Amino acid sequence: MSTAALHAEHEAHHEHKESFISKYVFSMDHKMISKQFLITGIVMGMIGMIMSLLFRLQLAWPDDQFSIIETLLGKWGVDGKLDPNFYMGLVTIHGTIMVFYVLTAGLSGTFSNLLIPLQVGARDMASPFMNMLSYWFFFMSSVVLLISVGVETGPASGGWTVYPPLSALDKAMPGSGLGMTLWLVAIVLFIVSSLLGGINYISTVLNQRTKGMSMNRLPLTIWAFFFTAVLGLLSFPVLLGAGLFLIFDRSFGTSFYLSDIYLEGVGALENIGGSPVLYQHLFWFLGHPEVYIILMPALGITSEVISCNARKPIFGYTAMIISLLGISFLSFIVWGHHMFITGMNPFLGSVFMILTLIIAVPSAVKAFNYLTTLWKGNLRFTPAMLFSIGLVSFFISGGLTGIYLGNAALDIQMHDSYFVVAHFHLVMGSAAIFGMFAGIYHWFPRMYGRMMNNTLGYFHFWITFICAYLVFFPMHFMGLAGVPRRYYQFTLVEQFDVWIDVNKLITVSAIVAGAAQLLFLYNFFVSVFRGKKAAQNPWGANTLEWSSPIDVRLHGNWPGDLPTVYRGPYEYSRPDREEDFFPQYVPDESAPEVLEPEKAKSAPAEKEVEEESSVFFAAIKRVFGLG
Amino acid sequence: MTITLNRVLRNSLSKKVLTAFSLILAPVFAMAADVVEPPQEFNPMAWDWSTLLTLALMLLVILVIARAFDIGSLTEKISGKRLVSPHKINGWVAIIFLVLGLIGVWYEMVYHGKHVLLNDAASEHGAVYDSMFMWTFGFTFVVFIITEVLLFYFMFRYSYDENRKALYYFHNNKLEVIWTVVPAIVLTFLVLRGFNTWSKITSADNEDAQEIEVFAYQFGWKARYAGADNKFGDNSFTFISGSNPLGLAVEGSIDELSQSLTDEIAALEALIASADDSAAVWSARLKDFEAQGRQRAYPEAYKKIREMAMDAESGAYVRSLEKEIKRKSTNIKRIAKFRADQNMFNKSAYDDKVVTEIVLVKNQPYVFKFRARDVIHSAYMPEFRAQMNCVPGMSTQFAFTPIKSTDEARAEKGNPEYDYYLYCNKICGAAHYNMKIKITVVDNQAQYETWLAQQAPVVAPVEAPAVEADPASDTTSQATPAVAFN
Ligand code: HEM
Ligand SMILES: [Cu+2]
Ligand SMILES: [Cu+2]
Repeated sequence: MSTAALHAEHEAHHEHKESFISKYVFSMDHKMISKQFLITGIVMGMIGMIMSLLFRLQLAWPDDQFSIIETLLGKWGVDGKLDPNFYMGLVTIHGTIMVFYVLTAGLSGTFSNLLIPLQVGARDMASPFMNMLSYWFFFMSSVVLLISVGVETGPASGGWTVYPPLSALDKAMPGSGLGMTLWLVAIVLFIVSSLLGGINYISTVLNQRTKGMSMNRLPLTIWAFFFTAVLGLLSFPVLLGAGLFLIFDRSFGTSFYLSDIYLEGVGALENIGGSPVLYQHLFWFLGHPEVYIILMPALGITSEVISCNARKPIFGYTAMIISLLGISFLSFIVWGHHMFITGMNPFLGSVFMILTLIIAVPSAVKAFNYLTTLWKGNLRFTPAMLFSIGLVSFFISGGLTGIYLGNAALDIQMHDSYFVVAHFHLVMGSAAIFGMFAGIYHWFPRMYGRMMNNTLGYFHFWITFICAYLVFFPMHFMGLAGVPRRYYQFTLVEQFDVWIDVNKLITVSAIVAGAAQLLFLYNFFVSVFRGKKAAQNPWGANTLEWSSPIDVRLHGNWPGDLPTVYRGPYEYSRPDREEDFFPQYVPDESAPEVLEPEKAKSAPAEKEVEEESSVFFAAIKRVFGLG
Repeated sequence: MTITLNRVLRNSLSKKVLTAFSLILAPVFAMAADVVEPPQEFNPMAWDWSTLLTLALMLLVILVIARAFDIGSLTEKISGKRLVSPHKINGWVAIIFLVLGLIGVWYEMVYHGKHVLLNDAASEHGAVYDSMFMWTFGFTFVVFIITEVLLFYFMFRYSYDENRKALYYFHNNKLEVIWTVVPAIVLTFLVLRGFNTWSKITSADNEDAQEIEVFAYQFGWKARYAGADNKFGDNSFTFISGSNPLGLAVEGSIDELSQSLTDEIAALEALIASADDSAAVWSARLKDFEAQGRQRAYPEAYKKIREMAMDAESGAYVRSLEKEIKRKSTNIKRIAKFRADQNMFNKSAYDDKVVTEIVLVKNQPYVFKFRARDVIHSAYMPEFRAQMNCVPGMSTQFAFTPIKSTDEARAEKGNPEYDYYLYCNKICGAAHYNMKIKITVVDNQAQYETWLAQQAPVVAPVEAPAVEADPASDTTSQATPAVAFN
């Protein structure tokens, strides 16, 4: 569709009056859809967090009774004692919610939707309708997952990775019954949502950029969302396949993952010839890219927020893109590092070890580039900036432990120990959540036209930051002492007694961190209605979203023509300018576009884009059939 | 972006919320203080960890809140204009965080480092493992400290100043090459070393290693020693029964299993034959129940009855019975097929010993063969730096040589109760957290042999039928040798 046609279509949109339903519910405006993703993500995040607090209570005080557990969980918490089966269920649903619902949909869904059209200068997504479907599939998926927590036999409880045979046999544990079926349904809906969104993000970035917005002028947020969408598009279908096979094994008597099984109380099963390890290969083929699907949008947001609030160009723009590209590519060929001790051929283990440790190089480049961006900057500590810096800190401390786990030899001891829990909560959990908070604080004025309260933001940040370290740092030591994860209690093993106090410390810190989120919720919801009205460009940022009117709700983003882009997004503190920023959309007497107005005016946007894209992007376009 | 803390704090909204927040936190701390037991005497070094940190945290939060409330009025009193920018405050907090954080890291390493199993391996390859660990730790720790210190120092050093302009600095190819190449070199070193360690561990020489089979099930472990003939008897999951948990090729037990499966099928068929009657019975019961209005009083029973009636009505009941029959007859067929195989039933399983404790001899190489019968488990022996998944339908293995006996470990830890364990480390169901088996490393072969001699073989030798470890095996058929498992 040409820009002109799109434009015309949107003009038509302005004509008719929108009803409540089309404005707030089945909205096709990417800005409204992004808010829908955000609110759903926040709600799911609160639920996931409360679950973690409940099972943390169990780990810290295994012999005590908590009336709150009985109140909340009913028959799973008789006498205030958490049932072991439900403990597993809580851990599983906590992991699922955090990984998929909060940090995939809640993070990427919110900010890809909000920022892609606004930062590339498009009136909306390539397909607003698919975009709307994407949200509603996500919503249905969330509802199904939450319902699964309440079913009589309990939710899926085999861990968020739901390895068969445990997850395939309803007699193996109660959670593998109806709860597991609903889990699979929820995930299938989720994948559909994710694919619909991803296709849209990719085509919007490739096709809908405004005049002058060449690929090398894209903000790093967009680059990150773009790579994320490509990863999702290539890996989620594999998870769908894995899930479908699992559904077949569960319901239709196939044996993809099942072989030679005898179940207590049932007897020998008929299935032979399948392999449980096959599932792990399929799962981690998604699973590893998934951790970058979670992390890369957060890194993109951080790049933008750090550069803007350091009033300094991001250091090494091209290196940042290349390292994202490198990480994306490598993330598809390292899945075996989750399976070093499944009995795979040791040679294969070596290959996966080498590939995994190579990923550390682009990651290191990113970390150093962030540090250099801060160096000699003029750092404005908005809450968004603090959360971004917090992300960098977590990214470093969590990333370094990846070097241990990627080493096949070291993984023998660390696999599935608390060391792993510490590692992924820092590098993926905390880092991505902080990226999400940074995005919320930074783009809140863009979303709601109002400001959030800074002081509350500061308290929110420091308390959360300190507590996150208090929760996850000591877990490394537990893991190194051989404490396994997914244990309902540790008191049955005498060796683990030394960790009782640490477990209490962790739980108390987690509760304090949880309480700090109340500050955020209060700040968020009060500011939506009562916050100070925001200025048009409150942070003095360079990117296009701050040129679209902030105070009126406009489906189509810009009232008149689309803005023209004259330069890259990171022109902060240019020595030749008085102001410390220079927005992409502000013309400059010396800019070539202005010097040659003829050319700039007559060239249709697409043509120009075509010229500027390198061969590489042309190839990508062809691969996806998007040209 | 020069809103001062001062002005923000005058905003009553945030004041109210902070007060409310401290009220919420108070019970949390109270609870923490309540559960964490008070120290016996005033001796801070003996304080337990969470007391210290809870105290520190409490202090910190209270201080910060108090301070924040103060600053607003304080700055005004001093100069009548804003003095402290929030950027400077955050810069200071960053430095305080850095210092406290580094102290915390040091504290962790000293006080918890000692519980970590490093340099304490009880197996031969453990030393190789531990040195690989220390190399990785060395590099990553240096990078960790340098980068985190820089990060927080920059926060402090470059916090916002209206009169300064940031450096306009886009890129520097030399720098970027340096921090691509240096990590690459370090990682190459770690990869090569890792490679070396990994192949040393995985390609252990098994020539004179003794084989032990470790068998995982929900929720426990069994170990099998080959017995006098030094040969493991064959096995199959189709042979597994209550009296033959490992599914060993022992004729008596298998024929018995076939027979009982046949009987069960007959019983199921009888049930199907009477299904119509039973449907009628259930629906009559349901009617009764409802007629008497007892649904309210006995909801569970009502649900059960309704379910049964509905299943019987819809035919789901019969279908599930038929499925059971099919499963059982497949099992019988498979048993029959194997039963004809003379190689399989060569009696080498008879003298195998199935035990519930693993006993190893110091300095003797072992190969562990792992099997699982229901879901995936993982055999985790942290003291020996050993772990391997146990996967149904697959055999996996791990080889190592123990070098520290249980007695030595006890002496070292100063704990006469200390024992090695093999834990389950792959989520496998409700009792996953309690699925372990003791490993005892004895000093010499003689001790091991004494122990082994006390363990009953799978099938008691015919010469001495009187020795029966398990009274339950009395119930087994007289014609075949008694099966005695422990
Ligand atoms: C309130 C903060 C959080 C706390 C206190 C917390 C704590 C925990 C704990 C104790 C476990 C169980 C570990 C085990 O036994 O294996 C766990 C599991 C997990 N958490 Fe969190 N977590 C938090 C936030 C997050 C976030 C933000 C993420 C996002 C990635 C996350 C992702 C996971 C995953 C994937 C698992 C693994 C679930 C499984 O074993 O199947 N958590 N968490
Ligand atoms: Cu991975
Ligand atoms: Cu287990």
